Amino acid sequence: MSDQQASPIRVAAIGMDQRQRNALVMLFNSHCHKRYILVEEESSEICIIDLDLYGGERLWQEFRQRHPDRPLILASLKPRQVENGHTLFVKKPIPIIQLMNAIGQLSQTLNNRTAEQQIDPVASPETTPSLPQKPRHPAAPVTRKVASLMTEAQETVFIGTSPDIDPDNQQQLAKIYYDPQHYLQGHVQQALNQATRYNKNVTIEGPWPAIDLIIANQQIMVDAGEKHLRPFCTVPDATREVELRFHEQHKPTTGRKEYSVYAFIWQLALWASRGRLPSGTNLNQPIYLRRWPNFSRLVVTPHALAIAALWSRNPRSLIDTANSLGISQRYVFAFYSAAHALQLAGETRRAVDTLLEPPVIEQAKHRGLFSKLLNRLRG
Amino acid sequence: MSDYKIIFSGPVGAGKTTAIQSISDILPVTTDEQASDMTRNLKNGTTVAMDYGLIKLPGTERIHLYGTPGQERFDFMWEILSNGGIGLVLLINNQRPDPFGDLHFFLNAFQAFIKQGKVVIGVTRMDQAEMPRIEDYHLQLENSGVKIPVFDIDARIRKDVSILLEALLYSLDPGIEE
Repeated sequence: MSDQQASPIRVAAIGMDQRQRNALVMLFNSHCHKRYILVEEESSEICIIDLDLYGGERLWQEFRQRHPDRPLILASLKPRQVENGHTLFVKKPIPIIQLMNAIGQLSQTLNNRTAEQQIDPVASPETTPSLPQKPRHPAAPVTRKVASLMTEAQETVFIGTSPDIDPDNQQQLAKIYYDPQHYLQGHVQQALNQATRYNKNVTIEGPWPAIDLIIANQQIMVDAGEKHLRPFCTVPDATREVELRFHEQHKPTTGRKEYSVYAFIWQLALWASRGRLPSGTNLNQPIYLRRWPNFSRLVVTPHALAIAALWSRNPRSLIDTANSLGISQRYVFAFYSAAHALQLAGETRRAVDTLLEPPVIEQAKHRGLFSKLLNRLRG
Repeated sequence: MSDYKIIFSGPVGAGKTTAIQSISDILPVTTDEQASDMTRNLKNGTTVAMDYGLIKLPGTERIHLYGTPGQERFDFMWEILSNGGIGLVLLINNQRPDPFGDLHFFLNAFQAFIKQGKVVIGVTRMDQAEMPRIEDYHLQLENSGVKIPVFDIDARIRKDVSILLEALLYSLDPGIEE
């Protein structure tokens, strides 16, 4: 550094440990072009105190006793009215620009003092430099259960292989609906509703392995694995003799398969649906998504994330969703059936949602990059 | 060479370091040191300046993964790290005394990401603290103006972290080709 260049402003972090100091050093090095340097309090020109530190208020008071006029920046999560000519407050979390502005403002205070001292030699010992100082840098602010993705075999089991239909063809239309009430899905949904209403556990009894719903834990316990359970979920009217037996106490037993009740219903809906829709669903009515499903704990059907992302932006009809994403209708139908079973998705009732055509999907600037990253994550 | 970055943030003990380790192609660089204060009870080491990991893509593109320091007092670091980021992965430790307080604190700190829908939330340690539930987090987010993906995740499990990132990518562009 030549003599003509200004030396860096010396900043101290009072009471801060090495980690905080490291962070400040990183900030000064990366954003401030070496205009500031972190030093100890004794040799500092500007100081920073984090009031949220243990004893922060005391540190501040003691600091002011030692250095009544030294420029100081106070930081805290709670707003404080402490500002005066040589004390500034910044609220945490601190935007860099605010911290830099505060340091810049106090640097200007230092510059002014230096100038005054050159005119008036009787200056306070605190700010009187032992050597003549050049003006500092200009004070201008620095301007600156594990998610389960499907295999191909699973896809056939959960989604089926139905081709796209022509929504105007009544024959084809008749094939895309199923009635959840005729499947185990409907019985478990009904059990959940009643268990919630009465706040009691319930056992769903039928020809299938015993299914217990523990309401307090939102948990399902089944006496068998999916292989034994699935046949009862895919066949309509597997039994007409279903009994819901309510009870207060649940006796835990070992060796049973456990599910979250939502993951269980989601899976039953996929098995029952096999790429179809709950009867009565209007293909042309826009679909809303109330919230994202907890995908990390659910069977994730193909394109489910894309459909969820699309519906979370705007309601959109099932047919339009398939067309917009360029995917088979059965993927949209399967996802809707499962999300609908958990009351996460439904048909909009507002006139405004059908008034305008949904917007085309705007291509992100980095779509190619996102695609590569997606494949990398799935690889 | 094209470089991009994804930010992992959240309170101390939320699993940022672990999440980055789960998906990084390189041995993550971590600046953990022995915790010496309030964080001692939560984890053995707490991140000092940042964690760093990398995902290498075909060609010359790379995704840098930065973990912000977990302690609130390093908050001015967040802006340095998040500038120009593709998106934010916010991890919330469900075992902390006030996870909703943490949620709002961090959403407020990263408002720019929230407004642009560039955020996903992973709730960790739900196996040790079941409440609040994921639905409760969604209720807290109702006024945010965007539907943010919120998943129950285990930061040690690659698939969990991966699906969180996938949701982030689809949130940014639902039309990504698989």
